[in-house]
Amino acid sequence: MKKRFWLALCILMLMGVHLLLAQGNGEHANTETQPPKGSSISRGDRGNVLTIALSASPKNLDPIKYTGVYEGNIIRNVADTVVRYNKDLSAIVPSLATEWSVSDDGTVYTFKLRDDVYFQPGTYQDGKKMTAADVKFSLERSAEKSAMNRLGMLKSVEIVNDYEIKCHLDHPNAAFLTVLTDAGNVIVSPEDAKGWGESFGAHLVGTGAFSLSEFKPDQEAILNRFDHYWGPKPNLDGAIFKFITDAAQMTNALRSGEIDVATDLGGENVKVVSDDPNLVLDAVPGLHVAYVYMNLMHGPTADKRVREAIIKAIDINALIKGVYPYNEAQRAYLPLPPGSWGYDASLEKLIPSYDPEGAKSLLKDAGYPDGFHIDVYVANKPARVKMCTILQAYLKKNLNVDLEIKTAEWGTFSEVASSGKAGMYAMSWTWYPDPFFFLNKMFHSSEIGALGNGQGFNNPEVDMLLDKALTVPDLESRKVLYQKALKLIVSEYPRIDYSNEKVIYGFNPSVKGFVVTADNSIDLVSPEVNVYLED
Amino acid sequence: MIGIVLKTFVRRLWQLIPILLIVATIIFVITRMIPGDPAVTMLGPQASAEAVQNLREELGLDQNIFVQYAIYLKDVVQGDFGTSYAYNEPVTTLIWKRFPNTVLLSLFALVLALLIGIPVGVVSATRQYSIFDYVSMVLALVGVSMPIFWLGLMLVLVFSVNLGWLPSLGMGSLAKGLGDVFRHLLLPGLCIATIPMATFARITRASMLEVVNQEYIKALRARGIREYLVIWKHGLKNALPPIITVIGLQVSYLLAGAILTETIFSWPGMGRLIYDAIENRDYLLIQGTVLFVAFIYVMINLFVDIVYIIVNPKISYAKQG
Repeated sequence: MKKRFWLALCILMLMGVHLLLAQGNGEHANTETQPPKGSSISRGDRGNVLTIALSASPKNLDPIKYTGVYEGNIIRNVADTVVRYNKDLSAIVPSLATEWSVSDDGTVYTFKLRDDVYFQPGTYQDGKKMTAADVKFSLERSAEKSAMNRLGMLKSVEIVNDYEIKCHLDHPNAAFLTVLTDAGNVIVSPEDAKGWGESFGAHLVGTGAFSLSEFKPDQEAILNRFDHYWGPKPNLDGAIFKFITDAAQMTNALRSGEIDVATDLGGENVKVVSDDPNLVLDAVPGLHVAYVYMNLMHGPTADKRVREAIIKAIDINALIKGVYPYNEAQRAYLPLPPGSWGYDASLEKLIPSYDPEGAKSLLKDAGYPDGFHIDVYVANKPARVKMCTILQAYLKKNLNVDLEIKTAEWGTFSEVASSGKAGMYAMSWTWYPDPFFFLNKMFHSSEIGALGNGQGFNNPEVDMLLDKALTVPDLESRKVLYQKALKLIVSEYPRIDYSNEKVIYGFNPSVKGFVVTADNSIDLVSPEVNVYLED
Repeated sequence: MIGIVLKTFVRRLWQLIPILLIVATIIFVITRMIPGDPAVTMLGPQASAEAVQNLREELGLDQNIFVQYAIYLKDVVQGDFGTSYAYNEPVTTLIWKRFPNTVLLSLFALVLALLIGIPVGVVSATRQYSIFDYVSMVLALVGVSMPIFWLGLMLVLVFSVNLGWLPSLGMGSLAKGLGDVFRHLLLPGLCIATIPMATFARITRASMLEVVNQEYIKALRARGIREYLVIWKHGLKNALPPIITVIGLQVSYLLAGAILTETIFSWPGMGRLIYDAIENRDYLLIQGTVLFVAFIYVMINLFVDIVYIIVNPKISYAKQG
């Protein structure tokens, strides 16, 4: 009798757990086309304030101290840069500067500034007008103190009059305007920056559409509309950036209506959001390349034939399907994303296609008929580890190469990867559309020892082309030089470029006018964008 | 009695100093053994070698390791844990900002666990082999075996996503009233409380079963004392010592559980601070927070021992060793 009772109880318990699971597995049946009754997401009592979740926790909003894209997204809405990218990142357009010119030798940039710009009222000034002196202060502050050395090329800023400045560079640098678009080079209130000193990061004051009302590390940043903004009047009363580091948690918060925008979605969560009839998913190809470097200095991969064999032994199209089952990326060919103006699709044919037999004979010629053992280091991200597992299977099957996967979290990984100790390493790179930030950083010999060029790529001709591309001011000539460099680079088979991941956001449908950009930057208000919430 | 308590207290406080020094040394060595350079980690993949070198110098990471250790110990003795690299704030300030949040969450979970766990254990013991006893003990077994991470996600899916009753992240704000903070407390609180609650129920039941069959309980009943007084006053009091030991152990567990739970529910407490510090290779913050948690652990154990002496005067730590 007692045994029966126990048995019945256990079955009941299991059924209960199963029911809970069935309720909570976040999957809608695919047959569902209509939202369930009364299930539209309630935004609670947030009114006309947009809540955006960031996938990492910004630590410091001081432009000279920030290091991640996350801080940049808050800074960008509180303060403005001198120039900015337009929304499709195809051109640099006016922001605080209305026009600019470059001297013939490429070392002096003259900017005419707007004369109707005001700072948000801060603790140390009450909303004064912005002048050339404030721009000089901010840019020189960044040049001298930026942790990332963002304006290293800027020698000094000269004030011509209240609304005109000249930036003197120590040598010509065609990427200067691009660097000026970085959130690290926004114009800040000198009084507040000096007044707050080390803690300016929690009290940022700029000229942007929103003022920073409160910054709670690891929780949220609260922004309020700034009514004296020089651009279009913001539709939103304010914005809250919430910091949610766990992707599943962010997706749940979007589904429960606690946030309006979920950023950096990937993997399963893309499916959960796209299957939910109450949510909207938006994806754009990012300025991003995921790749596997091969060591060019030591080990078997120092031989070009081995590198070519490895590329030929992998069916990249199949690999992409396995790593990104929810279409979170597109196939990549070159070490530059298609969204960059330096991209040259005609070079794609230089990348060897899948050819197991050809790979075998190449490896035999190189003196490894029975394969070899090699390590691949990878940061502990699900998509990267999955990719390495598939890579491992291809190399074993087609070349008898034993690939040992060594996962490490970011701190460890970056140390090994930059020191050139790894045989291969898997990572990704994302930055501005200017090829300088990809090609110079990853293939110039001066970057050997940094994370960008840990593989030890060293080609004097490529160096020469990359250096030259920085000194010519016009875009077309630069493009030609970068494409020449790109051709030389890919013919060395230095790495396996396999994907351009998309920038994927999820939205509450009441969010309108939000533009997801390839560089993952968030602008709530600009001359082209003005986000609003529909009732 | 007070003498014994005081003696124990003073002696254990003396023992605290070498313990903390050993912990400080171990944590210093371990943080330096983790591969990865804080400067590289902080500046990210796109930093130039020059920028990394400048930051290393600024953080004093270019100095000899023994020099770093000496400076660190000297500062710790003076109560200065240094300034966090990533937050650019003194470590002590960060701890004082976050620790109350973790205490709030842990205390709420503890109260929840005690208020439910102990009565369930007592009732189970007094009605041994009843349906209530079976059901509650099976539930307790499930509760003890529950992985926190899974439970947290399930709670969010059921109560936030599907039912929309409770918020899934953050701690709300006092500006919106106590009710808002309480609503934010419920899910993470329940998540951390599950295992201790189940443990309290089981240990209370076992301890009460030993007590209720003893002669003096029968004697009390024979004297006509009301049953609820017999059980809840006399019985429970004598069943308490093992329960208190377990409570002490579980309080330590609550702090550990907070790390996971705070990460799941974006609760801005010590757990997330430690997690982030390790992610960022924020040496001084790792050292400061771990040392602080070690100190809290030792203090909790001391407190439990003293309560133990008060509840059960037959035990005298002063006479040992």
